[in-house]
Order: sequence, then structure tokens, then C-alpha cells
Amino acid sequence: MTRKQKRLAVIGGGVTFLFAAVLLVMFAFSQSIAYFYVPGDLAKADVPPGTRIRLGGLVEAGSVKRGEGSTVTFTVTDTIGTVPVTYTGILPDLFREGQGVVAEGAFVAGNRVFVADTVLAKHDETYMPKDVADRLQAQGVTLSGKETIK
Amino acid sequence: MLFWILVAVLTAAVAAVLLLPLLRAGRSADVAEARDAEVYRDQLDELTRDERAGLIGAAEADLARAEIARRLIAAKARAERSAPAGPARRNRMAQAAVIVLLPAAGLGLYLSTGSPDLPAKPLAARLANPGNDLNILIAKAERHLIDNPDDGAGWELLAPIYLRNGRLEDSANAFRQTIRVLGASPQRLDGYAEALIALADGVVTKDAREALQQSQALDPNNPRTRFYLALALEQEGRREEAKAAYEALVKDSPADAPWLSLVNRHIAGLSADVPGNPTSQDVAAAGDLDAEGRAQMIAGMVEGLAGKLKENPDNFEGWMRIIRSYVVLDQRTAAEQALQTALKQFPPQSENGKQLLALADELAISVKDGGK
Amino acid sequence: MIIELGHYVLVLVLATAIIQSLLPLAGTLRNDPALMAVAPPAAVSGFLLTVFSFGVLTLAYVTSDFSVLNVWENSHSMQPLIYKFSGVWGNHEGSMMLWLIILTFFSALVASFGTNLPERLRANVLAVQGWITAAFALFILLTSNPFLRLDPAPGEGKDLNPILQDVGLAIHPPLLYLGYVGFSVCFSFAIAALIDGRIDAAWARWVRPWALAAWSFLTAGIAMGSYWAYYELGWGGWWFWDPVENASFMPWLAGTALLHSALVMEKREALKIWTVLLAILTFSLSLLGTFLVRSGVLTSVHAFATDPTRGVFILAILVIFIGGALSLFAFRAPTLKAGGLFAPISREGALVFNNLILTTAAATVLTGTLYPLVLEALTGEKISVGAPFFNLTFGLLMVPLLLAVPFGPLLAWKRGDLLAAGQRLFAAVGVGLVIAAIVQWAHGGGPVLAYFGLALGFYMMAGAVTDLVLRAGVGKVTASVARKRLFGLPGSAFGTALAHFGLGVTVIGIVAVTTFETEHVVEMKPGTTVEAGGFVLTFDGMRQGRGPNYTEESGHFTVARGGVRVTDIWSSKRVYTARRMPTTEAGIRTFGLSQLYVSLGDPMNDGGIVVRVWWKPMILCIWLGGIIMMAGGAVSLFDRRLRIGAPQGARRPKAAAILEAAE
Repeated sequence: MTRKQKRLAVIGGGVTFLFAAVLLVMFAFSQSIAYFYVPGDLAKADVPPGTRIRLGGLVEAGSVKRGEGSTVTFTVTDTIGTVPVTYTGILPDLFREGQGVVAEGAFVAGNRVFVADTVLAKHDETYMPKDVADRLQAQGVTLSGKETIK
Repeated sequence: MLFWILVAVLTAAVAAVLLLPLLRAGRSADVAEARDAEVYRDQLDELTRDERAGLIGAAEADLARAEIARRLIAAKARAERSAPAGPARRNRMAQAAVIVLLPAAGLGLYLSTGSPDLPAKPLAARLANPGNDLNILIAKAERHLIDNPDDGAGWELLAPIYLRNGRLEDSANAFRQTIRVLGASPQRLDGYAEALIALADGVVTKDAREALQQSQALDPNNPRTRFYLALALEQEGRREEAKAAYEALVKDSPADAPWLSLVNRHIAGLSADVPGNPTSQDVAAAGDLDAEGRAQMIAGMVEGLAGKLKENPDNFEGWMRIIRSYVVLDQRTAAEQALQTALKQFPPQSENGKQLLALADELAISVKDGGK
Repeated sequence: MIIELGHYVLVLVLATAIIQSLLPLAGTLRNDPALMAVAPPAAVSGFLLTVFSFGVLTLAYVTSDFSVLNVWENSHSMQPLIYKFSGVWGNHEGSMMLWLIILTFFSALVASFGTNLPERLRANVLAVQGWITAAFALFILLTSNPFLRLDPAPGEGKDLNPILQDVGLAIHPPLLYLGYVGFSVCFSFAIAALIDGRIDAAWARWVRPWALAAWSFLTAGIAMGSYWAYYELGWGGWWFWDPVENASFMPWLAGTALLHSALVMEKREALKIWTVLLAILTFSLSLLGTFLVRSGVLTSVHAFATDPTRGVFILAILVIFIGGALSLFAFRAPTLKAGGLFAPISREGALVFNNLILTTAAATVLTGTLYPLVLEALTGEKISVGAPFFNLTFGLLMVPLLLAVPFGPLLAWKRGDLLAAGQRLFAAVGVGLVIAAIVQWAHGGGPVLAYFGLALGFYMMAGAVTDLVLRAGVGKVTASVARKRLFGLPGSAFGTALAHFGLGVTVIGIVAVTTFETEHVVEMKPGTTVEAGGFVLTFDGMRQGRGPNYTEESGHFTVARGGVRVTDIWSSKRVYTARRMPTTEAGIRTFGLSQLYVSLGDPMNDGGIVVRVWWKPMILCIWLGGIIMMAGGAVSLFDRRLRIGAPQGARRPKAAAILEAAE
């Protein structure tokens, strides 16, 4: 091979590879991106059952109930709408009523219950999941009365 | 003084270190390409070693050697062409830069943020010699209580101090411990309830109400208890009962009781058919229902703080505390004035300024001119 | 007074850095040796001053001086001493101080160990280091000053964030920063070379040790961080594709690519432009990571919006340094001469393949990390890109690279023979397949892909050994000669083999844990049992306890196998008093390379407690592999030949002599 051909082979191979990588990234995005909603949005946006989403809001006071074994049900609210959530597993340390939470999962067909497989309440008392803070602030909700989200 | 001497010595020492190379004249730099050649020569040695060790075939070694040799020759050729370093110059500009920049930048930036007069305050030394450092006295009491959790008197001492300093959860806990160790009294139960109410931002919670009811059972005529219970009724929406309770309280109070204005305001609010708006100042003001001695004590502390702030106005925490205290003492004009002064020190755009405004918001003090 | 002195010295650091960034550069432009000679003493004194300032801050922490705002916010007098130390960098201000001290440390290293560098190069490198130092010192002084005071001083501190009160935190950030910031030296070398317009094989040789050192530290830091998250968060996971983790992983990927491309440049003078670009990109990713973590954009856009100074300041540093570097690169790159030729199938070709995949992988991670932020900024739409995205893209990209790793060292420079290399790897492939088959036979079941993954890992380990065996000439020469040759191999050969071996070990750990781990979430009462990994765990009950600054409830479990008691596990939940913050302290027992992991959930109304029990087979391989990789980097670094184009004889640098003495 001449110098030019060699170079072409290397560059051609590289470009093909990059192209494949871009396709892969786009495919992965279409498969695994989860959109974020707060309960108030869900009335407007029709999320089909089985679609993975992230649901954020505050855990409604008095709504946490423990069922069979390690299954927990609670209600997520943004003061406009509420969504019942069930989750099986261990809740994060900082999961508390009245605190911000993000649940990841999907609605089951038939009833409007959100089945979460991941529940996040980050490890910081002042932490407010970013999405939740944004939306709640947009709706003029303050947290726990004491501190406004700034 | 010692501090400034050390600052001067340090600055001079650093300047000297930086000036030394500038003053050493007559040095000439080596030629960069010579260093390149060293690397290539080393690569050749390495190649020979590898070949001798049998790590690389003879043919490959020859090819590689030829390649490195070409680089070596090129580097040598460049080395001969490149001009030697210029003659050493005096560099007066550079020397001046070092001499001027170090102290100027150093002092300029330091003085804008530093507190040169403030000594270090290691905790051990403060504990050994607390003087009248209130924070340390509290800390000492806390340490004592960790080891002696059944010292009821200690808890009782700390509980109201916590409440005044805004450490509400600690205060509720201290009252709870006091009651656990020393038993219930209207005084303690009311304090406990007060802490809980403050924690809930003025809402008389279930726990608080239960404590108040227990207190009333012990002493049915305590005006503070009666006020809060009336407030609880008001918040539950039982307006008529609340109004009746407030009016009964007014009736049983001496004409010059300091809490009358507060109670009357609530009665007026209920009569005007406007839902009551209990806020933390109600809670705070209700503190006056107790003894005047307590108010005096707070007033004394506030005065002291005001004096300190006059001397040392960039104490942000101090301003936050004094504004809060004025509101607690119901001296709203004083609070507003303090806020004004503080905002001059910490402009509203700054982070601290924003916190001040947030505090004003929380305490419902108005911000005259300036602000947002 | 001592506190204020520390504050003043921090300002002096800035002033010194400004001088260090200006005078040497003026020196190289005017060809004035006196000005160039300012750089080393400036760098060394900058480091000493930073050490003093950092030491004062540490002193304030150790003595619980709550008149320092930063100490009050992040320390507690009852905290164990080690956390008073580690608390120094367990917060924003302190961690920036750590950044600064490591940055100046590397500058001082270049100043004192780089005596064999051409003076112009060294002066320019130190000047660029000076710019970075000045930028960060200014950032600290203006937006994150750790020496601000409180008067009157509070009596007790607010305590360090409890999840940071862990030995892992004492070690993890310094290691990580040594890596992150170490790449600044490569960046400075790249910029210095671009300024001077001279980039050749010698340059690559000078850069490589710094890249190696930074890479080794970063590897250790990431592995350490992953282990820390694993045992401290109580979620049982070891990698979450969290933006903060990605922030450290991207420079690692780019840095790994840099290590390999610098090798090509040193040996063949090829890939010059690319290597310089990688050096710039690697440190840019470090800066980007710092921006993501420190600006607050990740936890809350509002943290960024209400206190914009920090975010905007780091963003400005980011834009100026990356933008400036890339502009300089674009301006200079066309003037560089292309280097040596090579066929697509050759050692160079293999390293290009490595670079292509690693940079693509880094770009993929970058896309996944930044896409949600960019999308939100542009459209306001909020999405999350989670582990599935990264697993799919990154995982698929890695497979061809991992398959190719053992081939690289077996190919000859310039023109290689793929077939011959393949034949030599026959045994390695066999080893991989046989072991995977044995595991399948012993364990049974499981997805086919898992066994493919295991085979891949063992193949890489065997491939690394094959490389050493072939180099020693086993089979071709007598055993004694082969042994002699093996021990005579240069350190870099061992380094390569170790790093590739370690990568294989990590792959095995990852595959084994993701496919064979078992997880049970059960409600337990005293006396109930749960089975995991062939062990039977009996819950014995809870116990209250008290630590220096927390209270805890611990559950006790007895572990038995075949009816015989093996060991016991304590797993607890703590509440830290000052912050009233709960944490989970998972109970972990190690059996060989596998672990039993027990974490406690919430108590139930009927007296039971929810318990999560994992069996994590071969999990320690993940970090063990990281440690082996790091050791590979270290062995390479101490290779005699890398002692920096080591000029022999009279002008041998003192550093090299010291290193040799140490051996």
C-alpha cells in the first residue's frame, strides 16, 4: 500500500467506527431516556403504561404505608396533583414525609398506580432533587414552610 | 504588631527568592536541542541493550537505529543553527514587578477580606478560659450534659437559651429532658410547647396542644398557657371559642399586663372576620407573658451585641441575630433600622444581603428603599 | 493570628503565581535566561506557601477553631481526629485548597525534578502552571475563601456531613485530585510546546512519566471512590454512572488514550498533533469535572442561579483555558510536520485503534452526562440519562477494545502480522474458554453473555502473561536464559502486562457481580433466617449504641454454612446528632474475593425490620484489578529508561539518583 492508501484506510476505518458509535448513542438515547414529570403534569401529559419515567415531588405527609413484607406505598404530590406510588425494597435513609423524592419506574396498565423500582432522596439534608426544586418553585410551593427553595 | 512584622518578613523572603535569579547576571541558557540529542542518544543505548538481551531482532534493531539516528542528526544540526541565548540583561522592569507586585497584591487582597485583629480561637483554650463567651458557656454545658444526661437543672438552664438563639429542635429536646428528669411544671410544659410551636412556624401542633393542656391542668390561670390554647382554637377554625378564650384572658389580666396588646389584636382579628394569621412573632411576643426579668435579660444581650456591631459592622451573623432579637422583643422599628444598616454593609445583591432580605421576609419586616 | 497569617500567605500564593506566569514567559520570548530562571524558585516557593496556608487551615480544624467560618460549618469538636483532618477537604472551600496544593506540588516537582528539560521548555511549562495556579488561587480568594472569620465565635460546629465521616473520604479525594490535577502538567507541556512550536519524540518522552503518574493516581482514586460508594451508601452498587463519577471517569479514559498515543510519539514520532490535542483534552475534562462538581449545576440549577459567582468563575476559567488552548492548537497544529509511517496492522495501528475507542467512549460518556443539562438549558425539557444508556453504549464500545488489548503488545512496530499474533494468543483464548466452560459446568445456568464476559476477562489475563512469556523467549531459549531475560525486561514491559492483566481482573469482577449476584429483601424478626450465596444468615436482634458524635442501632446476624457457624455480621443505622442525619453502615464480610453485604431498612410496626442481603461473587476483583492497573503504572514509572531521557554521567539529575538509591 502507498502512503496515501494507508492513511485512507486508517481514516476510513475511524470514520466508519465513529459513525457506528453515533448511531449507537442515538439508539441508546431512544431506548433509555426517562422523562421527568411532577404529578401536576401527568393529568395533561398522557403517559402510556409501561413507559419509564421519573416522578418527582414531595412525599405527602401521612401517606406512607407499609404493606406486605418490604412493600411500601406512598403518595407523591406537588400540591396540584397527587400520584400513588408502590415500591418494594429499602427506602433511602433520607426518605421522609414532607421531603422531596424522585421515583423511577412506570405506571401499570389499568389503575393509575406508579410502580417504582428506584427511589432517590439524596444524601444531603438540604438536597432537593434538581428537577423537583425547579418545578415546585415554578408553582410557588415552598418547602416545609421554613425554608423557601432559593 | 507581631502579625505585621511576620507579614513583612514573609513578603520580603519570597521577594528575595524571586529576585535572586534576576540579579544573577552573566548566566547563559543551554541550547534546547542539546537536550533533545541526549534523549535520542539514550534511546540508542536502550535499543542496544534490548538487542543484546535478545528482546528485539537484529533487522528491526537496525531499522529503529537508523530512524533514531536520523532524529539525532537533525537535532544536532538544529543545535548548531540555533542562536545561543541573548546576553544577560538587567531586567529592571521584572525586578520592579516583583518588588511592587508582591506586597501590593498581597496586602490589597488580604485587607479586603481578612480580619487582622482577630486572634485564633482554638476550642480547648476557650473552654479552659470561657470568660463571658456565651457560646462557650453553652458548649460547656452541652458537654457536661452528654456525660450527665440526668442533670435536670442543666437541661432547664439550656432550654430557654436555645429557644432564644433559634436552636428550636435543641430547645424542644432540652425541655423534654427537663420534664423527664425533673417532672412536669407549667413553666416547663409551656416552654416545651413554645419550642414546638416555633418549630412548626407558629402552628400549635398536636404535641404542643397536649403539653399545654397538661400545663393548664396544673395551673389553670397561667396567661401564657391560656393564650396558646386560644391560639390553637383559632387555628382549628373554632373562632367563636377562640374569641371567648381570648376575652376571658383579657378579663383576668391586670390592666397593665404587657401581653394585652397582643391578645387584643387577636380579638380584633377575630371580630373583623379576618382569619387569624399566627406568625412566629406571636410566639415570640408571647414570651413576654412570662416574667419581665427574661425580657430584660434579652434586652441586655441585644444591647451588648448592638455595641459590638457598631465597632465591627462586618459581622454578618451578628446582624442576623440582632434583627431576629429585635423582632422577638417586638421592637420592630429597631429591627428595621438594624436591617437598613446591615444592608449598607452587605448590599442586597450580595449573598449575605440576600440572606438578610430573606430574613426580613420571614419576620415580615419592611425594607425601606434599597432592597429589591 | 496564625489563622490570619495563613490567609495572608494564601494571597501571597496568588502573587507568586502571577509572577511565575509572566516573567518566565517573557524570558522565553526575549531569550533571556535570567527571566527564565525565575520559574523554578517561584514554583517551589508557591508550593511551600500553599503548604503553609493549607497547614494553617488544618490546624484550625484540628483545634476546632470555630472562629473560622469554614471550620464551624464542617467540623465538630467531638469528631474523631482523623475526620477533623479529612474534614479539611470534605467541603467546597477545603477541596479547592486541596486542588491548589496538589497543583503547586506538581509545579514544584517539575521545577525540581525537571532539570534535564531544555530550559525554555521548563520555563514555559512552569509559566502555564502559573496561570492555572493564579486562576484557582483567585477563585478561592474571591469566591471560596476558607479563612473567613466569625466573631463572636460559636461554641460548637455544625459537623462534617456524616456520609463523609469515613476513612474512604480521607484517602479518596487526595488520590483523585492527584490524578485530575496531575494531568495539568501534561496540559502545560502541550501548551509550552505549542508556544515554542517544537514538538518531537523527545517531548513525548518528557511528558510520559507525568501522564503515567497522573493516570496511576486517577486509577487508584476512581477505584477507591467506587469502593467507598459501595460500602458507605448502603445501596450495594459500585458504580452509578452518576455525573460526579463520570466527571472523574472521562479524564481517565482520555488519559489512558494519552498514555498510549504518547508511546507511539516517543517511539515513532507519529501521532504528534493528536497526542498534543489529547494532552489538552484530558486536562480540559478534568476542569470540566471540577466545574460540574463545584458549580452546583448538578445538584440544583438554582444553586448555580442564586450564587452565580462560583459557577460563573469556574466556567470562565474553563472557557479561557480550554478555548485558549484549542485556539493556540488550531493556530500551531498545521505547522507541525507529520511523523513516521506505519501500516494499519502494526503496534502503532493497534494503539490508534485503542485511542479511537477510548476517545469515542469518553465522548459517549460526555454526551450522556451533558445532554440533560444542555437540553434543559435549550428547551426546558427535563430528562434523565441513567445507567441503561451508559451500559449499552459504553459496554458495547469496550468489547472490541478488550478483545484487541492482548494483540497490541504482540504486534511489531511499523508493520505487524495479525495472523502470527493471533496464533501466539491461541493459548490465551483457550485458557479463557476453558475456564468459562468450567464455571458454566460448576455453576450452571446464567446467560451465555456472562460466560463470554468471563472468558474475555481470563483471556486478557492470559494474554498479558503470554506477552511476558514471549518476550522472555520461553520455548526458544533454555530455561535459565529465559529466566534471565524475563528479569532483564524493562519495567515498562512489566507495567504494560500488569495494567492489561488488571483490566482483565476488573472485567471478571464486573461480569461476575452483574450476572451472578443475588439480592434478597426480606422482613426479619429475631430468629428468622435468610439464605444467600450458600450461607444462612440468622437475625439475632438489635442493639443500641453510641459513638462520639452519633447514636446507632445495630442488627446482629449469625452467618452459618452447612449448619456450622462461620462468622457474624453487624449492620447498623446511625443518626449523627449535630445534623440529625441518618446513615446506613452496611455490614460486610469477605469470603475470598466475594462478599456478603447486609444493610438495614426500616423497622416494621410488628417489631421486624426490613433487611437487604446481597451475595456479591468476585466483587473484590473490580477494585483489585484497579489496584493492579495502578501498580502497572507505577512499575512503568520507575522504569530506568523513563527516568526522563535520563542523561547519563555528570549531568544526571539528582532526582534520578535518589530514585535509584530508593530501589
